[in-house]
Amino acid sequence: MRPFALNYARPAQQLEVSVPYAYDSRLQLNVLPDGRLAAHDYAVLRELGATTSTAGSKTHFDD
Amino acid sequence: MTVLILTCEQDVTADMVVAELDGTGVPVVRLDPADLPGPVALSGEYVHGVFRGHLSVGGRLVSMNGLRSVWVRRPGVPASRVAEPSDWLTEESAQALYGMLRSTDARWMNHPDAARRARHKPWQLHLAQLSRLPVPATLITTFPQAARDFAARFPDLVVKPVSGAHPQEPPRAVPTSRVAPDADFAAVAYGPTLLQRRVAKRADIRLTCVGDRIHAARKAVDPDAGPDEVDVRFATSDAPWRPADVPSRIANAVVTYLREAQLAYGAFDFAEDAEGMWWFLECNQSGQFGFIQIDTGQPIARTVADWLSAPAQPAPPTNGGRAWLLEGH
Repeated sequence: MRPFALNYARPAQQLEVSVPYAYDSRLQLNVLPDGRLAAHDYAVLRELGATTSTAGSKTHFDD
Repeated sequence: MTVLILTCEQDVTADMVVAELDGTGVPVVRLDPADLPGPVALSGEYVHGVFRGHLSVGGRLVSMNGLRSVWVRRPGVPASRVAEPSDWLTEESAQALYGMLRSTDARWMNHPDAARRARHKPWQLHLAQLSRLPVPATLITTFPQAARDFAARFPDLVVKPVSGAHPQEPPRAVPTSRVAPDADFAAVAYGPTLLQRRVAKRADIRLTCVGDRIHAARKAVDPDAGPDEVDVRFATSDAPWRPADVPSRIANAVVTYLREAQLAYGAFDFAEDAEGMWWFLECNQSGQFGFIQIDTGQPIARTVADWLSAPAQPAPPTNGGRAWLLEGH
């Protein structure tokens, strides 16, 4: 009774990764431990894939 | 006049836009509906023929009548972080928040009604056809025999979820996948199945459209990639996205699509075939863009910030009657 498309399913990527930044409600931005804005550190964003299209998101299916 | 951003705290793509808005003098309030009620509070009254509403979060208080725009980015489910969440409280909170926001004159990126409709992939395919975008032959069916007949007409097929959603129990991803030549289509009867002619692509194309601006990017397919490597999200290639030029025919069609869909933002995916034809795959009304900006240097966050901070207009047609700006480079 498994739908056809699920024959091609694979385990979802682990999305709950630890990030090196934290949300600052005063700035309304995520900030790195050294005070820099996470959004300006492209190396960190690239490494984490934090701005990348994904598949398997639990909450969002528009990528 | 304030820009309201509805998104979760960990959304660093929204950060890219907030950082652009900072320093422009345009007030910004960012909140996650998941925190309503609690850290996010609201109040609105309808008295003497007038609506007045307020939102507060993190010590900020904003009048809903003072909103110039609302960006629905990655909002959490309303009331999902309360001590005792329930479907009832979620519905109450959603109706209160979004109902009041609908009572304002703020411009939306994107309006919830337009966003909801735009998520339907079958409707996307229809609108793409009406907009004169090339659409690969597609079948959505629960008839196994229809699937077999389609496979006979188009022997090289891919399958993808109709909704774009993925099963969660257990969590799995369903990438766009090439259908095996000897596939048994009997299981098509157990769920609507989207089959599409596989485009032998030489590149993936992403058009990030913001208001009347298009940022075009292209990611070349690895020459060694096999035909089974279909979904760019799972591709092994580490080739970067590069700025691209948009054929005018495609740009005009995209304009039509967004206007008809009443979308202020849309991220279009195309597959470029060996002849250079761009085949429409989908339009994500809330598609990610940070990774494109990081690779290409295109100022997409700046463009979003510009749209959100533009002065309120009495009539808010999306793109209607204005020139379309192509920004490949």
